[in-house]
Amino acid sequence: MYNLLDFLRKYHHWFLFLLLEALSVVMLLSYNSYQGNAWLSSANRIAGKVYEVESGVTSFFSLTRVNEELTLRNFYLERQVDQLRRLYTDITNDTTVEERNELRFLSQYKLIPAKVVANTINKPDNLITINKGKDDGVEVDMGVACGNGVVGVVYLVSDHYAVVIPALNSSASRISCAIRNRNYFGYLHWTGGDPQTAYIEDIPRHAKFKKGEWVVTSGYSSIFPQGILVGQIEKVFNSSDGLSYKLQVRLSTDFSCLRDVVVISDKSAIERTRLLEAARDSIKAKSN
Amino acid sequence: MSLDLFKRLGLFIIMCAVQILILNHIHLFDVATPFLFVYFAISFRRGTPKWAILLWCFAMGLAVDVFSNTPGLASGALTLVGLIQPYLLELFVPRDSTEDLECSAATLGMGKYALLSSILLFVFCLLFFVLEAFTFYNWIYWLICTGSSTALTLVLILAIESIRKK
Repeated sequence: MYNLLDFLRKYHHWFLFLLLEALSVVMLLSYNSYQGNAWLSSANRIAGKVYEVESGVTSFFSLTRVNEELTLRNFYLERQVDQLRRLYTDITNDTTVEERNELRFLSQYKLIPAKVVANTINKPDNLITINKGKDDGVEVDMGVACGNGVVGVVYLVSDHYAVVIPALNSSASRISCAIRNRNYFGYLHWTGGDPQTAYIEDIPRHAKFKKGEWVVTSGYSSIFPQGILVGQIEKVFNSSDGLSYKLQVRLSTDFSCLRDVVVISDKSAIERTRLLEAARDSIKAKSN
Repeated sequence: MSLDLFKRLGLFIIMCAVQILILNHIHLFDVATPFLFVYFAISFRRGTPKWAILLWCFAMGLAVDVFSNTPGLASGALTLVGLIQPYLLELFVPRDSTEDLECSAATLGMGKYALLSSILLFVFCLLFFVLEAFTFYNWIYWLICTGSSTALTLVLILAIESIRKK
């Protein structure tokens, strides 16, 4: 007995070492599956605050460029809206329908503006922290977009901050998207490396499209509404099994200077998920 | 003793802040990241209780992890460095040195100090990138990351030490 105690006393730091290493490995392995654990990430209060102060300082220096970009985009969109409105009234002779549609579209979604406080683009699995959390109505699995296009999906939420899985996450990000006006859809997938280039898989072989066409969100998942910009088709490859096309897409969002984003809260999403679950349950019940 | 504790705490906070706010954003040629917080683990005095070194190192790693959304990654690697540091330091200290010898370039000499810290840094980077990648699929990239990060951090640490020496 004394020998045992002596042994423990002499080598106690080895046991401590094993304990701490075990703890590290458990944390390392459990982080990706355990969703509620927000305090061990940059979504916790102290880390979020530190990052908020830091991004306040750094964002000041990129304001000019961001402003220029937004002004350009705004100009482009205004022109587009104008053109569409003119076309629409030419066809239908009705000037109010469009406004009504727009209002209906907007009332379905609640947009929560947020600021990016921490962001990486050079790891294989990048994460973004934003300064809005549960108290502001942000919940897990909501979509996040910015003025230039799609950003990602909310992954962890604390009271005042949230961690977002951006499109630049090679292991966890799968955003459902479609080619604009053609409705063939596939999944957006990033493989690391260049933060402007991503791939879309599972586009069927019979699909007809051209290089340079725009890719937008499909709206099939309940996370993003239809039509948020994703990027432009750059190259077309055959998929590895030869059954579908793989598109190389130039992302429209510049993740390296991401500052202002909006979290998209879809009120109808809850209803849709409930319906989907009910459908799944009934199929399961039938097959049993 | 308590003064020493406060000094440690001060160093802890400074290292954390520097790592999180500045160095974590540096990726030289997309491979080399300086891990200056390993300096915190290297600088423990001779005769510091081993359990204390381990706990400090774990806390330091965890603090960096929390900020970079990688729980367990830096803490695991730094705890190993904390385990090795006292044993390695014993091999490097001059024969007639005091019991609480400070581990710095001034007491060990620049050559010995550089060797000591490069070994510890290499161990850290090796484990860090192994844990980060978790596969040996892209092992050339992994080797380049380990080597270049070790070198970059070593340069930083030696620069700090040469300033402190004067």
